[in-house]
Amino acid sequence: MSKSFEMNRRGFLGSLAAAGLVPAGMVASGPALAQDAGGILRTPFWPAPTYLNSAISTSGPESFLSPKFYDGLLGYESGMVPKPSLATAWEISEDGLTVTFTLREGVTWHDGEPFTSHDVAFTFMEVLKVHHGRGVNTFANLTSVDTPDDYTAVFNLSKPSPAMMRALDSRECPILPAHLYEGTDIMENPVNTAPVGTGPFKLESYEIGSAVVMVPYEDYWDEGYPLLDRFIVQFVPDPATRAAMLESGQTDAIFLGMIPTQEILRIAEMDGFEMTTTGFEAMPSGLQLEFNLENEILANKLVRQAIAHAIDTNWILENVFYGMGQTGASPLHYDQRPFYTTEGVPSYPFDLAKANELLDEAGYPRGEGDMRFKLMLDPSPWGTESINSSAYIREVLRQVGIDVEVRQQDFAVFVTTVWTERKHDLVLYTATMGVDPTIGVHRFYLSSNFQPGTGFSNGAHYDNPEVDELLNAASIEMDEEARIAQYAEFQQIAYEDLPIVKMVDIAAAPTLASTRVHDFAPDALGALGSLKQTWVEQ
Amino acid sequence: MTGTFAHIRRLARHPSGLFGLLLLAAIILMSVSAGWIFPEGPWAMVGPTRLHPGVDPRFPLGTDTYGRDIVSAIFYGARVSLFVGIASAAIALIVGIVVGAIAGYFGGKVDDALMRLTDAFQTIPNFLLSIAIVGIIGASLPTITFAISIVAWPIIARLVRADVLRLRTYDFVQSCKIIGMSDMRIVFQQILPNCMAPIIVTTSVLVANAIIVEASLAFLGLGDPNVMSWGTLLNVGRQQLRTEAYITIVPAVALVLTVLALNLIGDALNDVLNPRLKERT
Amino acid sequence: MTQTSGPITGNGTKKAGPFAALSSPLGRYILRRLVQALLVMVLVMVGSFFLMKLAPGDFVDVLAGTRDLTAEQTAELRARYGLDQPLVIQLVRYMGLLATFDFGYSPINAAPVTDVILARLPVTAILVVASVSLSMVIGTLFGIAAARNAGKPVDLGISIFMLLLYATPSFIVAIMLILVFGLKLGLMPIAGYESVGMGYTGWQHIWDVTRHLTLPVVALCTFYIAIYGRIGRASMLEVMRLDFVRTARAKGISEGRVFYVHALRNALLPLITMAGLQVSSLVGGAVLIETVFGLPGMGRTAYDAVLQRDTNLLLGVIFTSSLAVVTVNFVIDMLYMVLDPRVNLK
Repeated sequence: MSKSFEMNRRGFLGSLAAAGLVPAGMVASGPALAQDAGGILRTPFWPAPTYLNSAISTSGPESFLSPKFYDGLLGYESGMVPKPSLATAWEISEDGLTVTFTLREGVTWHDGEPFTSHDVAFTFMEVLKVHHGRGVNTFANLTSVDTPDDYTAVFNLSKPSPAMMRALDSRECPILPAHLYEGTDIMENPVNTAPVGTGPFKLESYEIGSAVVMVPYEDYWDEGYPLLDRFIVQFVPDPATRAAMLESGQTDAIFLGMIPTQEILRIAEMDGFEMTTTGFEAMPSGLQLEFNLENEILANKLVRQAIAHAIDTNWILENVFYGMGQTGASPLHYDQRPFYTTEGVPSYPFDLAKANELLDEAGYPRGEGDMRFKLMLDPSPWGTESINSSAYIREVLRQVGIDVEVRQQDFAVFVTTVWTERKHDLVLYTATMGVDPTIGVHRFYLSSNFQPGTGFSNGAHYDNPEVDELLNAASIEMDEEARIAQYAEFQQIAYEDLPIVKMVDIAAAPTLASTRVHDFAPDALGALGSLKQTWVEQ
Repeated sequence: MTGTFAHIRRLARHPSGLFGLLLLAAIILMSVSAGWIFPEGPWAMVGPTRLHPGVDPRFPLGTDTYGRDIVSAIFYGARVSLFVGIASAAIALIVGIVVGAIAGYFGGKVDDALMRLTDAFQTIPNFLLSIAIVGIIGASLPTITFAISIVAWPIIARLVRADVLRLRTYDFVQSCKIIGMSDMRIVFQQILPNCMAPIIVTTSVLVANAIIVEASLAFLGLGDPNVMSWGTLLNVGRQQLRTEAYITIVPAVALVLTVLALNLIGDALNDVLNPRLKERT
Repeated sequence: MTQTSGPITGNGTKKAGPFAALSSPLGRYILRRLVQALLVMVLVMVGSFFLMKLAPGDFVDVLAGTRDLTAEQTAELRARYGLDQPLVIQLVRYMGLLATFDFGYSPINAAPVTDVILARLPVTAILVVASVSLSMVIGTLFGIAAARNAGKPVDLGISIFMLLLYATPSFIVAIMLILVFGLKLGLMPIAGYESVGMGYTGWQHIWDVTRHLTLPVVALCTFYIAIYGRIGRASMLEVMRLDFVRTARAKGISEGRVFYVHALRNALLPLITMAGLQVSSLVGGAVLIETVFGLPGMGRTAYDAVLQRDTNLLLGVIFTSSLAVVTVNFVIDMLYMVLDPRVNLK
């Protein structure tokens, strides 16, 4: 808290100094900097958002933009340690079935209305539980929210929900103004694109598909913040163009890996730029190869293991991700601490001879054209990683006698082919693993999540009662040690059965910025947070 | 068509035409010999990744992100470019000639209906239609060829229709009718051979255009992932233009030279087949 | 008469021809053309509708993939936007809306399609007008210069340059322009059509937009400069051989006047024809340029609409661009009718 006060005072004095009202020497931070607040931050992003509200859409642009306008109940320090935001204190009952939040007083919405516990109850019960893609599962056990007074919200749960406490930040669960949403069609409420939040920034202008301009909200509860004078997000479709914009000074910072990795590494080496990989823990993601177990060849575990042996995941890590991450070793992401483990989890080192041996053993000798059988590989057209990796995978699998054809289609057809029509054999895609395994990982492995028609569900049609039992137990286990043990066993079994081979656990997407930009990756949320402490030297 | 051979001889004597022919011959040679010179195929990861040209004599034009030989990719890419160019031009020619001939010869309601269809295809944004088709059906060589030809045929159709309209009033057509020749025979045996010159010239432009569209699609990430084309290289290279510019420049040069060759040949054909025009320029 | 046909030029657009104009009153002709145009528009719209609807996947699939939606949520969305209705009913509904000039709602942009299109129109309009006029002027100038020096090295140099422009795809030109003028020289902004959020007004704003759109317009121009150059050169050479020009020269009228009055008038028809083609190809052809330069124009919007299966938005863009093309063609036909007698004399 003292740190924030300090920043506050300095920020204030700094702006006075900048305005010429006090001598620059009076500012505490030293002689070199006459300024430590303010400035204009410009950043490119893609794709363009549908809404400016991540409570009803969890896709990338909404996740990035919404936290600037809205606050969550909690924030998270590095390591996902909760910290106060709209809630100043919270208490979980012994049985884990009641969570009581004490709310901050004196907070106002951008339209001047006061923020109360009614807003919290409305947002969770009417919006997040209904319209939020992951929220339906995260808050499945949330039965009601009581509001004994304006500044207390009591969450009543039917079962303990350990994952819930990791999902209360402004990106995952922004609190919306009940007075503007109540009684309206939430999905078509105009506030969705003209946000009225409690957050540090308010909307100045929004040109659909082109740009968002934000300015500070003068009555923001965290006094002195935000530090920026103006925050401009421009939507630019081509990654190489975004990189050129940064290099030529047309933008100041690139968040969330918005430019090709090799460009990030190259520009980071140049004078005047700096890079950080912190601030992405809330969204670990991985590249994974999923098998359709309904295919009779792939139903054979030996074939799946042979394929895992034939692919040098290190090659993909080095040449597609330029070393930004770790090779996949478990269904979980290495950032999903403390649950991630490789202990006792089977591994499949790159070994073509072993792959050939396993394929022979599985009963698929080489035949015509030295090939054993033919498979279709569907890479996700989202981003370039899956497509780039698929060219490599096709080539190595050809070497062990598997004739792979890569099928490239647009995103809508890709999703339909794999998860609705199930016409696929191998599918390669990047997916977020979630702040908690319950939120991001369970969906691929639970047999109950085999739901044709729902994208990125259990597309393998994996069905192991033992795994189901472990995962269902872990989702309501409040004792962390017990949960760690459950997830360890899950990782061992799932990686032996191998419905999915993890290729790469992708590292925190780096933030790359001009050295004029300061304090741009402060906590676990990084750029997905409010960026209220960020400022730019002009 | 007695003068075909003479035409070729005159084409060879046309200086820019000769240059175009030689260029095209070189490209055809590349595509034919690709299998012999690079038996391991264009996808084989034969060297270190991102090797710049001139560093290792084994890879005179360097290697790409995957350690694939760029010379090999250019050779195999020539196959794809030529295939897409020729196949889509051929489809456009067949459809265009049939539609144009029917519309022009029969006139009236048939003509009206076919011309409105032609109008519709010329009104809808062409490249957008190609993108939509490839995106939706999937990026494979046949789809790409189809997507290119479906927007190319209207030009041929209009050309043929205009000529047939003009020729069908001529005496020799009227006499064919009088001696009871069938409509089909009149159109295909009597009228069409007389309007081949502009069609042949336009065809060289169609082939060139198809090659550009294929590369453009691949540049947008809509190339056939199972086929090595120049567009594939352009798409790979675009992502590292600042560090490995040669991955973009090499296929770009190959593309420009091919299109150039086809245009030179087209111009020369125009001069040779229409001596009246040549005289004027 | 059985060997070769004469030269055919300008078959790209429909020639109304003098017959229609002579054999029927102007009013009836115009009416007929309007009915034809309407028919073409209906064909285009119905065709595009079915192309989008018969494609696997709808926009809910796209949303479900990016938003982690559950089965219930996707079902709710499909019902909300009428995607659960039979195709014919969807088509009738859409056409009914369209008849009242209502393009419907774009679920991907959470806004009425009309708003999205109006936001895109200025950029596209500037790109089209600037690149058509610029390429026509520059191309024609090159053509004239080449024709006046026919057979000399200048002619050869210009011809080779034109061929290179003609053979280089616009997206390659765009990449090179960014590399040279944006990065190496740092002279030009690389993306967008204005400095967003800087609050420029008046001349400052115009200058800002001009700087941003210079490179994209140049990239869109190169191919057409080559075409106009060829048309210009050919027309000039043709005019120089016409009797009345020779007479004029003999009479001692200044050569410049002969060139610029008679030759330009003579080149007018092929130039107009080409301009019509250029306008109609720009919405689609601009997809690549708008992508590379990060411009929020109609081309990229349509491309994204296809990828995201935003049928209403795509149909709205296609309707707008088709309307522009049909109108331009109509104007060109009218111009032909005015100018045709002279053409026939040729």
